[in-house]
Amino acid sequence: MISPRTLRSLKRGLNRNALAKVGIAIVVVVLLAAIFAPFVAPDRPGTQNLNESRQPPIGFEKASTQEVPVQENGSVVFEDGQIVTENRTVYENATWDHPLGTDGTGRDILSRLIYGARVSLLVGFLGTGLAMFVGVTVGLVAGYYRGKVDDMLMRSADVMLAFPSIVLAIALIGVLDDALEQSIPDPFVVTGVAPAFRSALGLPTGMPESTVLPGTIIVVVALVNWVWFARVARGEALSLREESYVKAARALGANDATIMFRHVLPNAITPILVLGTIQIAAIILLESSLSFLGFSSANISWGFDIALGRKYQSTAWWISAMPGLAIVITVIGLNLVGDWLRDALDPGIEGEGGV
Amino acid sequence: MSLARFLIKRLLQGVFVVWGVITIVFGLRVIAPGDPANVLLPPDVNPEVRQQVVADLGLNEPLYVQYWDFVTGIAAGVPEGLYNIVMGQPVGGLGLGTSLTTGTSVASRVGRSLPATLELAIMATVVAIIIAIPLGVVSATNRHSGPDYGATLFSLAGISTPNFWLGVMLIIVLSVQFNLFPTSQRAIGVPGIFDLLLAGQLEAAGDGFLTWLWYITLPAITLGTYFTALITRLTRSGMLDELGKTYVRASRAKGLPESLVRYKHVLRNTLIPIITVVGLQLGTLVGGAVITEFVFDWPGLGQVLINSINSRDWPMVQGSLIVISVGFVVVNIVVDTLYTLVNPRVGFD
Repeated sequence: MISPRTLRSLKRGLNRNALAKVGIAIVVVVLLAAIFAPFVAPDRPGTQNLNESRQPPIGFEKASTQEVPVQENGSVVFEDGQIVTENRTVYENATWDHPLGTDGTGRDILSRLIYGARVSLLVGFLGTGLAMFVGVTVGLVAGYYRGKVDDMLMRSADVMLAFPSIVLAIALIGVLDDALEQSIPDPFVVTGVAPAFRSALGLPTGMPESTVLPGTIIVVVALVNWVWFARVARGEALSLREESYVKAARALGANDATIMFRHVLPNAITPILVLGTIQIAAIILLESSLSFLGFSSANISWGFDIALGRKYQSTAWWISAMPGLAIVITVIGLNLVGDWLRDALDPGIEGEGGV
Repeated sequence: MSLARFLIKRLLQGVFVVWGVITIVFGLRVIAPGDPANVLLPPDVNPEVRQQVVADLGLNEPLYVQYWDFVTGIAAGVPEGLYNIVMGQPVGGLGLGTSLTTGTSVASRVGRSLPATLELAIMATVVAIIIAIPLGVVSATNRHSGPDYGATLFSLAGISTPNFWLGVMLIIVLSVQFNLFPTSQRAIGVPGIFDLLLAGQLEAAGDGFLTWLWYITLPAITLGTYFTALITRLTRSGMLDELGKTYVRASRAKGLPESLVRYKHVLRNTLIPIITVVGLQLGTLVGGAVITEFVFDWPGLGQVLINSINSRDWPMVQGSLIVISVGFVVVNIVVDTLYTLVNPRVGFD
């Protein structure tokens, strides 16, 4: 699998490449925030509070025009029995209660970003895992058997590639609808660990007890992206099947499945893992696009929150801006890690990503 | 292999892929839950009427008959339609059927939306190439300089930014705050400008062109940024690879001016693989156009696709999917052919 020599070249790459360290740091922070969301989120992500809506992030102030009564000598002025009012610009300052501000219904944006990271990373990792499983299986079979099997599988891969990924994803969502949506309980909340921790620190309690697992999106992104894994795995299998240890295994009477998964796959793992890292970034971008378009059932998601913020684009830019920054930073982190792996391991594949 | 044989082989592969696309598109409708008749009918409709509508849609036929009708309808309709277009005759349905929601021809709806998407995609590509290649060259020839770090940072951010978010931010900053550009929609299209030109209204055509440019600027930047970043990255790394090769040292030793070495030899060799990537990424570009159109309310194919998926208008979904992917297949064949033509080192095989 991963040899000591590979590990050494990874380490050498890391020492030479400061950006790789930045990438790893970003990925680790986002991952930890997502896993321990009920501990680190300052507020409940889904609870609305209209009194605190559209509060600006730290460092900014919100100017809004309000109608206020005109006061003279400390008392309001009446004219024809009506209170005289004037329009005045009121500045609202950011508070540390909501470091990144609040959205249109007063929900804390930072908490929503932390919970949104769960959805993005769940889809990113599970979607990539599923795509890898399907793609690697198809690719190994095609490359190992060659001939008609190979032609048939790879031609169908070509057909999949004829659809732009987002277009195919939208069409598949139209088919699957939300048949595969699941809600998984949050172990930290259900067991009472997180609530105890939060009340000890005086943080608001009542964090959501479950996280939406957008099964449809996971299956769809995997169905759209397996082809890249199939291409890489096939290429590796085509060359590895001629290696002497494969021939030896065959001569010893090992069956095809054993040869493919015990002998060919472990030696093909490096390029597959490098592609996997790049694919996580691509799939997170795809998920955010789909939830931006309103095709995901996750009610807290970076893409979805950007879409929600569009209603307030003239009064509260941060509602759309913050989730987008979260996506950009996370994807930059993953791309830096991917670049590092690719440079250090040099598996000879092209990075494929984007929406 | 000769050019003719190469073209025939690529075309046959293309036909196979198109057949596969049509089959998948048919399959999507078949496995989609819900009855297409439901889109047409109110829920409490008389069962006899319902039966009649289902029969009219051909949904009572066995699946293989439906499939055969679908494929042969397109196979017969499209050549006929193209012939009509060339002969300047009214274009029929192209075998793509009629919309379930509006009852109008899918082909005409898709045809009307196509120019908007093409304009957007072409503008984005042009902008990307104009910015990216000089940026990549400067970056590679001034390694470890300020511009190099700037270009590297830009390309990293560019490939990591979701284009819909970039669009929303451009609207917030440039349209809402500074009022420089319209927030959405497309006031006039290239066909409209041509109509004005043909009518001899030069001034109106000039105004139309400026309006068109004003409206397309933000969508084109939104769509083109990922592409720009990608091509910058590829140009930089490709050029660095080429600069390290021995023929560069030989030309320098021979006394060729540095500009000749860089731009005549190195850049040329760098551009060849970039053409392939640009071609392969055109699919991504069309995908990006779908979201960009949604953000800017741009009346293109992406809007048609999203609206028809939301209303379960399957003929419209199928029509737009087929047009998008067939367009992609055609572009790929053209790019492959160009690639082999400009690069004498690659044979037609």
